[in-house]
Amino acid sequence: MFDAIRRPFGHEPILTKEDLTKKKDKKSERAQNWKSTLLKIWKLVDEQRLLLIVVLALVFVSSAMALLGPYLIGFIIDEYIVPQSFAGMGIVVLWLIVVYIGHSVSLYLQNFWMVGIAQQVIYRLRTRLFSHLQRLPVSFFDKRQHGELMSRMTNDIETVSSTLNTSFIQVFSSILTLTGTAVVMLTLSPLLTLLTLIIIPLMYVSIQWITKRTGKLYKEQQKAIGELNGMIEETISGQKIVKAFSQEPRVMEEFREKSENLRLAGFWAWTYAGFIPKVMNFLNNGSFAIVAGVGGILALNGSVTIGVIVIFTEYSRQFTRPLNDLANQFNTVLSAIAGAERVFSIMDETEEKDDQVFNVEKKLEGEVVFDRVSFKYEGSEEGWTIRDVSFTVGIGQTTALVGATGAGKTTIMQLLARFYDANEGEIRLDDTPIAEMPRETLRKQIAFVLQDPFLFEATVSENIRYGKLDATDEEVIEAAKGANAHEFIAKLPEGYDTILTGDGSMISQGQKQLLSIARALIADPVILLLDEATSSIDTVTELKIQEALERLMAGRTSFVIAHRLNTIRKADLVLVMEMGRLVEAGTQQQLISEKGIYATMLSEAKL
Amino acid sequence: MKTVFSYAKPYKFYIVIALILMLLELVVELMQPLVIASIIDKGIVEKDQDVIIQLGIVLMALSVIAFISGIVNSYFAAHASQSFSFDLRQAVYGRIQSFSLAMFNKFPASGLITRLTSDVTLVQQVLYMGLRIMLRAPLLVVGSMIMAFVVNPKLALYLVVVFPFLLAFLYIMVKKGVTYFGFVQKRLDRVNRIVQENLQAVRLIKAYLRGKYETNRFSEVAGDLKFDTVKAFRIMEIILPILLFGMNLSLLAVLWFGAFEIRAGGAQIGELVAIVNYAMRMTGAFSMFSFIIMIFARAKASSERLEEVLLAEDGHEQEDVGEDQPIRRGEVRFDNVSFTYPGTEEPVLKNISFRLQPNEKLAIMGATGSGKTTLLQLLPRFYDATDGVVSLHGRDVSEWSLRELRKTIGIVPQQSLLFTGTISNNLSWGKDEVIQDELADAAIKAQIHETVERFPKGYYTRVGQKGVNLSGGQKQRLSIARALVRNPSILVLDDSTSALDVKTEGALWEELEQEQATMLVVTQKIRTAMRADRILLLEEGRISSYGTHEQLMTKSELYRQIAMSQQEEEVDEYV
Repeated sequence: MFDAIRRPFGHEPILTKEDLTKKKDKKSERAQNWKSTLLKIWKLVDEQRLLLIVVLALVFVSSAMALLGPYLIGFIIDEYIVPQSFAGMGIVVLWLIVVYIGHSVSLYLQNFWMVGIAQQVIYRLRTRLFSHLQRLPVSFFDKRQHGELMSRMTNDIETVSSTLNTSFIQVFSSILTLTGTAVVMLTLSPLLTLLTLIIIPLMYVSIQWITKRTGKLYKEQQKAIGELNGMIEETISGQKIVKAFSQEPRVMEEFREKSENLRLAGFWAWTYAGFIPKVMNFLNNGSFAIVAGVGGILALNGSVTIGVIVIFTEYSRQFTRPLNDLANQFNTVLSAIAGAERVFSIMDETEEKDDQVFNVEKKLEGEVVFDRVSFKYEGSEEGWTIRDVSFTVGIGQTTALVGATGAGKTTIMQLLARFYDANEGEIRLDDTPIAEMPRETLRKQIAFVLQDPFLFEATVSENIRYGKLDATDEEVIEAAKGANAHEFIAKLPEGYDTILTGDGSMISQGQKQLLSIARALIADPVILLLDEATSSIDTVTELKIQEALERLMAGRTSFVIAHRLNTIRKADLVLVMEMGRLVEAGTQQQLISEKGIYATMLSEAKL
Repeated sequence: MKTVFSYAKPYKFYIVIALILMLLELVVELMQPLVIASIIDKGIVEKDQDVIIQLGIVLMALSVIAFISGIVNSYFAAHASQSFSFDLRQAVYGRIQSFSLAMFNKFPASGLITRLTSDVTLVQQVLYMGLRIMLRAPLLVVGSMIMAFVVNPKLALYLVVVFPFLLAFLYIMVKKGVTYFGFVQKRLDRVNRIVQENLQAVRLIKAYLRGKYETNRFSEVAGDLKFDTVKAFRIMEIILPILLFGMNLSLLAVLWFGAFEIRAGGAQIGELVAIVNYAMRMTGAFSMFSFIIMIFARAKASSERLEEVLLAEDGHEQEDVGEDQPIRRGEVRFDNVSFTYPGTEEPVLKNISFRLQPNEKLAIMGATGSGKTTLLQLLPRFYDATDGVVSLHGRDVSEWSLRELRKTIGIVPQQSLLFTGTISNNLSWGKDEVIQDELADAAIKAQIHETVERFPKGYYTRVGQKGVNLSGGQKQRLSIARALVRNPSILVLDDSTSALDVKTEGALWEELEQEQATMLVVTQKIRTAMRADRILLLEEGRISSYGTHEQLMTKSELYRQIAMSQQEEEVDEYV
């Protein structure tokens, strides 16, 4: 029986013995973390601070009104009702109505503004996290599931949001009532007050005991939500494959596991967190009993009156209620901190650094030099992806990258666009190492047509315009025509204003590629990177856009990955890659006459 | 809300226990004032120290009982609410898995993600709160009300007068809250969507330097979310002040009319004081009440969103319905098939008819957007033909059970989508139980075995989301291997060798030709098409030509054109 309770759903509790017997220094480190997290949130309050003071003042007012109401009622009873003389009672009643109105209005206003402040803070937190994400290097995203990151943007921030809405006012008003009642109690009977105050150290100890557990559990809970989110996002966006392979049972099973983790973490977090108000209640009731018992005995020898005991039991109740509220708030604050910590941990990731040594406005010519460049993906176990690659491409030249899949062709392009930085060697553009060039300057000159065309959930023209935000409608149509996309766009239900849905099931893969080519056409770059840009396009259409592509490549330094000889033939330089190394370089003619690897590749292809 | 909360039924036991414990706690707490009264009356007044100590101990014992029931309640309430949300998530996710593809246009991924996490959490919270405090406030109100009536019905009546108004007000507010919190959740969907898009398109955004642009786009959406959240909360915050004001006014009414009543001799002062006391207690409970109303409204909005998914009537696939015997012969027939995507008007396929004997190989060619992929999607019933019949092994595909149908077909989609996990995990998607040898076998055929072996961890190399750490060609070959693992009698390849170099591609086709499977292959390359028994040429959704390479060369102008476009290359190669 006990075992079943200790291990609900047949799982071991999450907390291990070590978690609970952590050394002191660990604890202070944790306190440090909370402090810095709270401080970071406080910083986000920023210009709202003045308004926050107004809110606090209103809390003061509403608390005062809340006390004034019962006082006036007592006054009415004592002064008018008991003596049965109603003269003047109307005026006091009017005053009472004023107090009630004041109370309600100040209550509403404080919440009205507090919600505004809280949501403004949340808004700032969200947009900062987002713009920070924009500045993180590509390698950061390679390591993470999309859904997991999305969870930080929604689920984690939402916990902070709901806490911020209410906790601040609650905490402040609790402290206010607490001090108020303590003062009144002290004046009535210092001894009984001390007895009541006994519960404070007890409360401290028990809250320590609980938060030691909930702190970790809430973190686990948020982590479990993140992982679940990651799994959901991946399987839903890959739904077609799930269906094609009838893997519904498998993903359901995986989902069950992840969901189970969340249930377990959530269960323990909520159970322990649920102890807090109960412990408070107990201490409260206990002190109630002590006050009654000890007070009763004291009353026997006449050192306190019955009236004082009655008042005290009532006050000790009033005294512990705000404490109770505080304790409850403490708990939601804890879960919010767990969420906030996850958000800030992303904010602490190092951004792509830009050393501003290069003139941003400078127009590049487009001479590209790779000088003994080596590169390996972070955390990769596969050794060098690019090893000791050197070559020079002159201004306006077209370079074709060929080689087996996985030879490192795409990586060369990604290095040039500085999605990753080379581990060894140097890449220079117009004699300036690109590592010293602000990414903005660099990328402004580059248009990259990626292997997997991506379209946003937006209209066709917005998708094309992504290459040049201020492009006119004519330019958009011009680019679409150049990419041979105009024809099919015109057939779409709303033409250029057709909204492409996320999955893009409305248009084919080849059409997506046409649109991404149009996007590159409109960008008018100095350097053009085409990574399998036409792989899903039929050859007839390809021939039609070939001309546009050639026009696009003319006068620009271009790098092309393609398997079609047609494209390679026209290149000024062919680079043959093999397992990360550059094995041959030259024009197609040279390579064929050298009878090296490229020549063999060609002849094998004809088999 | 009914459907959503029906998932709490299996946990009735936990719920009932939690409720009983909550009531026990409440009762014990209510007994305390009585005990105190006896301490005063029997102990202090009668100067009996033993009674005081005894009753003091009783008081202590009562608090221990309250404490224990509170702690145990915590356990049961957490258990019930977490298990409830676990089952709810399971049900919603299961429902989503049974959605047909068309449903995903109605429910985009981002919206489903919000539902499965944020919305479920909000609903779960309301159950948890319900088992812990929710009944407390209403009980306190009702209890005080009854006590007030016991004391003096006439005075208590003044207290009740405002109740209908307050209830009507609460009803309206809940309705409003549901609407506005529904908006908030919808905004959250949009936030999710933009973040998802940005994560998927990291490279594109960086390449075009659109970081700031995207941040602005996001700020707008986040701003909308802020606006709607603030609006929803501000509306809900009206509840408490109004409730308090209403209660306070009725309190005043009691006082005012009570005063005259006393003069007329209809009431005692003590009675008035008692009723005023009860009224104040009710007022205290009201602040909790407004909080409850708020989370209730929020949960209701969320449960409506969940029910949209749970109760979606159409658009479900039923795996087990239909003929379940194994499909052994991959005989494929299209009879006058036409197809229009749901929600559009223009048909994508028009009157397509052809027939494939088992183990025959068909190449499908045609311009970009001519309907090649759509045609392939009708076979595993991702979509159902609008007109005409697609049949397999002599039976309409809709008569086969989906599981059997899809088990028979090995699909290699255009975009080779891989999942987070090891290579071995990804390959074994093809089949439920596989032995390592089978994986290696399929990988050898797909020309990826050697590459995988070269990775330090071999088949246990981890693949990132969507296969980020692999090259395009590696992904394509893994995706082909995945389809081969299940030994399909029908193999569907949707232009899935585009990123392969010519040599690897050649070797791959050599292997594929050995496969005992009916093959439908979308390709751009004449060279690949020539390997097929028959070629189907599509033009704007119609069959433009159908036959062998030689036949098409003579009868189809379009085919000759395609051949010409590639012929040039062939000539070039000899230069």
